Amino acid sequence: MNTATITVNGHVGHHDGGHHPAGILRWLTTTNHKDIGTMYLTFALVMFFVGGIMILAVRAELFQPGLQLMKPEFFNQLIGIHGLVMIFAALMPAATGFANWQIPLMIGAPDMALPRLNNWGFWLLPPAAILLTLPFTLALFGIGDGALATGWTFYAPLSVQGGIGVDFAIFAVHILGISSILGSINIIVTIFNMRAPGMTMMKMPLFCWGWLITAFLLIATIPVLAGAVTMLLTDRHFGTHFFNAAGGGDPILFQHLFWFFGHPEVYILLLPVWGLMPHVLSTFSRKPAYGYKAQVYAFIAIGILSVIVWAHHFFTAGMPVPALLYFMYSTMSISLPLAVLFFCWIATMWRGAMSFETPMLFATGFIVLFGIAGLTGLVLADVAADAQYHHSYFVVAHFHYALFAGGIMGVMTGVYYWLPKWTGRMYSETLGKWHFWLTVVSFNLTFMPQFFLGLAGMPRRIPDYALQFAEFNALSSIGAFILGLSQLLFVWNVVQCMRGQGAPAGNRPWEGAEGLEWELPSPPPYHSWEVQPQVK
Amino acid sequence: MAAAPHDFTTEELARRRAASRKLAWALGAAALALYVFGFFIQR
Repeated sequence: MNTATITVNGHVGHHDGGHHPAGILRWLTTTNHKDIGTMYLTFALVMFFVGGIMILAVRAELFQPGLQLMKPEFFNQLIGIHGLVMIFAALMPAATGFANWQIPLMIGAPDMALPRLNNWGFWLLPPAAILLTLPFTLALFGIGDGALATGWTFYAPLSVQGGIGVDFAIFAVHILGISSILGSINIIVTIFNMRAPGMTMMKMPLFCWGWLITAFLLIATIPVLAGAVTMLLTDRHFGTHFFNAAGGGDPILFQHLFWFFGHPEVYILLLPVWGLMPHVLSTFSRKPAYGYKAQVYAFIAIGILSVIVWAHHFFTAGMPVPALLYFMYSTMSISLPLAVLFFCWIATMWRGAMSFETPMLFATGFIVLFGIAGLTGLVLADVAADAQYHHSYFVVAHFHYALFAGGIMGVMTGVYYWLPKWTGRMYSETLGKWHFWLTVVSFNLTFMPQFFLGLAGMPRRIPDYALQFAEFNALSSIGAFILGLSQLLFVWNVVQCMRGQGAPAGNRPWEGAEGLEWELPSPPPYHSWEVQPQVK
Repeated sequence: MAAAPHDFTTEELARRRAASRKLAWALGAAALALYVFGFFIQR
């Protein structure tokens, strides 16, 4: 959190309300950053449950050995679309929703710099989500053979040979990519051009820094993914052989292109969360965030390193030893700036007057569980060890500790922290705490056994398995269903606030909160800052 | 001491948004260039 002193200025509310459309037209045509932020967050929540239901079907199938509920082809489709939905339609829109809501409030801007572009960026998402999931429905009517069945990674040559689900997913990824690039452009230009007087870059809130690096990463990597899937499309339908060995192409080239996007994508999902953590930890420790500059430089270092380490995702595909060594050491070097972040988070809490409201519970849970993701990531970065763990459930467990505990729980942290600001109402602390503890316990019940399944040799992406894996799979499935159901508490809590239930929040519901957003009323007026705040 | 606070005037907002549009076009062009560049990658 920045240490700038803020001069509080009165808000002029004379433009508030009365000149924006109501009903459905408001949401279709809105250019207001808060409306668009709400739409992103709502969309993300809906798609979180869509992706969640898919994987619960998978976990039901894996509850015991043998094929009980579905054919292997359908199982593969559920796995792949679950990954794409959770990454592109749940986590990324949730982070963009935070950006839309918070960046103008935190930098003292009246709105995003390019509001109409903002509207377009959001409304590209629903058609893309429909494209991703439509092949399931079409297959029910005998059209096509279902959705993408290659896993979320589209690996060639399987994706070159797949059914129409691959085409639908290719078009969906193009549209999702355009949406992400538009959103990123808007965030970058807003941060560069719309900051309040006195808010220099090194006084800017860390959340905005996290998102700034994320936005540059998106612009640098999404076009490469888009290029790769366009080449895949032309391989499928227009006679090219980019990835077809029989025609002189190279399937491994697809892996390089995909992971040049795919690895930075991990940080694209996590940097906004890392940016919001210091705000939450500082608020509930009642002391300033430790190491502001160190955290900014760590974000930049991680952003740069993230685009030069991609090949650790396919060590086993075969590459020269010097390349193996380069990608191993460069991957491990990411742990250095990440360790700086962990140190700063813990140092922020150190000797603070801590209290454990729901956002702080989620933040501390995040630190512990995301730490497990980092440590198991080091294991996978080791070339020799990776040969054993590659394509096993160890990998599945590792990236769920990164993306559920690191990503989704980070999003939960942010929602509970800012919900009183957004809605003007306090959520139920009791329900929030129930939600946290059920989530943490069931998350570990789901994914901790998967580490051991992987170590014991169970491959990922299989609908059936050998008998010795039965007990841990049963535990994992039970945990997954508790985890899924416990998220309903979160929905209830959020909806109650949105309906105006709960105690009024006041401008600054958290006594330790610092920053411009807490100077505005809760909820903030339709036009956030009409009078420029001064930052000293 | 900071200067006295003042409203976001129409002129100032227009200036900031014009600067934003220019940068947005540059970033969009960079993204498009990366996309096109991808087709010429050879191993």
